[in-house]
Amino acid sequence: MNKEKISLQEVADLFASKASISKRAAEEFLKVLFLSVEEALLAGELVKIKNFGTFKLQWNEPRKSVNIQTGEEIILAGYYKVNFIPDVLLKDMVNEPYAHLQPVDLDAGLPEIADEEKSEVPLDPFRVFDEQASEIKNLISEIQAIRPVVVKEPVKEDIPPIAKGIEHVEFKTEKEPVIREQPKAETISAPKPEPKPEPVSKTVSASGFDYAPIAKKNNKQPGKKRNNWFWILAVVIVIILINVGLYLFYPPVNKWTNSTVVTCIHSVSDIKDKVVSWFTVNPKPASYIETVVIPKDSMDSDSLNVEKPVDSLQILFDTPRIYPEFIATVRIKRGSRLTLISKKYYGNKDFWVYIYEANEKHIPNPDDIPKGTLIRVPKIDPRLIDASNPRCIRKARELHDLYVK
Amino acid sequence: MNHKELIATMATKMNAPRSAVSDLLDTAVKILNEQLVEEKTIGFQSFGNFEVRKKEERLSVHPSTHVRTLIPPKLVVSFKQSNILKDKFKDIPHHE
Repeated sequence: MNKEKISLQEVADLFASKASISKRAAEEFLKVLFLSVEEALLAGELVKIKNFGTFKLQWNEPRKSVNIQTGEEIILAGYYKVNFIPDVLLKDMVNEPYAHLQPVDLDAGLPEIADEEKSEVPLDPFRVFDEQASEIKNLISEIQAIRPVVVKEPVKEDIPPIAKGIEHVEFKTEKEPVIREQPKAETISAPKPEPKPEPVSKTVSASGFDYAPIAKKNNKQPGKKRNNWFWILAVVIVIILINVGLYLFYPPVNKWTNSTVVTCIHSVSDIKDKVVSWFTVNPKPASYIETVVIPKDSMDSDSLNVEKPVDSLQILFDTPRIYPEFIATVRIKRGSRLTLISKKYYGNKDFWVYIYEANEKHIPNPDDIPKGTLIRVPKIDPRLIDASNPRCIRKARELHDLYVK
Repeated sequence: MNHKELIATMATKMNAPRSAVSDLLDTAVKILNEQLVEEKTIGFQSFGNFEVRKKEERLSVHPSTHVRTLIPPKLVVSFKQSNILKDKFKDIPHHE
């Protein structure tokens, strides 16, 4: 901070050249100005100068103090102090280098981060379900290997919600890859009567296979009692799986037409809704449900809806950006920041990276741009600088990390 | 005393038309502001110093909610009267 001090004379010189009057007149004017202010203050008035500020007198009470040398108490007399309150304009002008800073609520910091991650919340259930599903699968395979005790109906009634929930999860997670990976396979196979979507058949056949051994087990006498709840739970899940499998696929085994597949999808998506409502603590999984409900109507539209925007945005991100058009030109002065320019023209400060990219040649260091540099603000695809889209922000931050080392 | 009244008193003192005084005052204020924006200290011997000070960032705690807030640094204009001016006000009797 340069603490340069300038006197009345220097101000008068500047003033004279600016207002094209003689230096003497300028000095005179300033003296008269402050004399007038002084007189008004003496008269007990406050003085307001437009765009500059307000002068007023403030009475400072007499106070006790101690003489440092002698330790004897003295009284400092009360006095009038001239209080200067800068005008809003002057205040803002002076504070411009820090104007972009906002008070940060430190304790509210955590919820804020949570807000940012909310966009990812819809994905979280998937991950959780995936983990659970793989755990359950492991369990089932172990069960099949060991052939444990079979549990009777009462036990099943004891824990239906959990069991159901997990069972639905099982279905859902198995269903999920179908929607994502093989939309084409399904649409192709749809017209044909015989072939059915892969994973569905897997679950069915798997449950079919499961059924035989476990049915045998049912007949068998429960040999050794294990009080391991985990096994019991897993067995119950298997039983319910079989029941559902039977319920869904038993009668028309030979003719699995489109309709059954569709009804299957229906039920599965319904189940998904329920599961979501159970598992998400988040009060508004609306966006998630929407995306899930869409598949009911047609698988094709689903694959389009889900994948197309994502891909186009990704392509947009990946293509090297060129800036043929410019919407504005800004000259860097004291206190100018690329982030501020970005906020002004794009509505979000994170998108400054694009301005930097467009002006890379003139800016050796984005943190320290020489005064007077001409910055051209490029015209950017509005999809790329969509402040409401967290992906755009994330992309900009990635670039930010790239440029600011 | 507001802006207009100030111009009026100055005009009578300088024997100049108000419009001219008003223009000059605007220019003067503009120059003072510019100097302050450049973080220069303006000193008028008989009046006082205008100075830009940096208030460092600080942590404030709301007394009742205990919410901690980080207040960013800022630049403010401060004015300190000169001793000459202070002495002049000694003569004003203090009521209350």
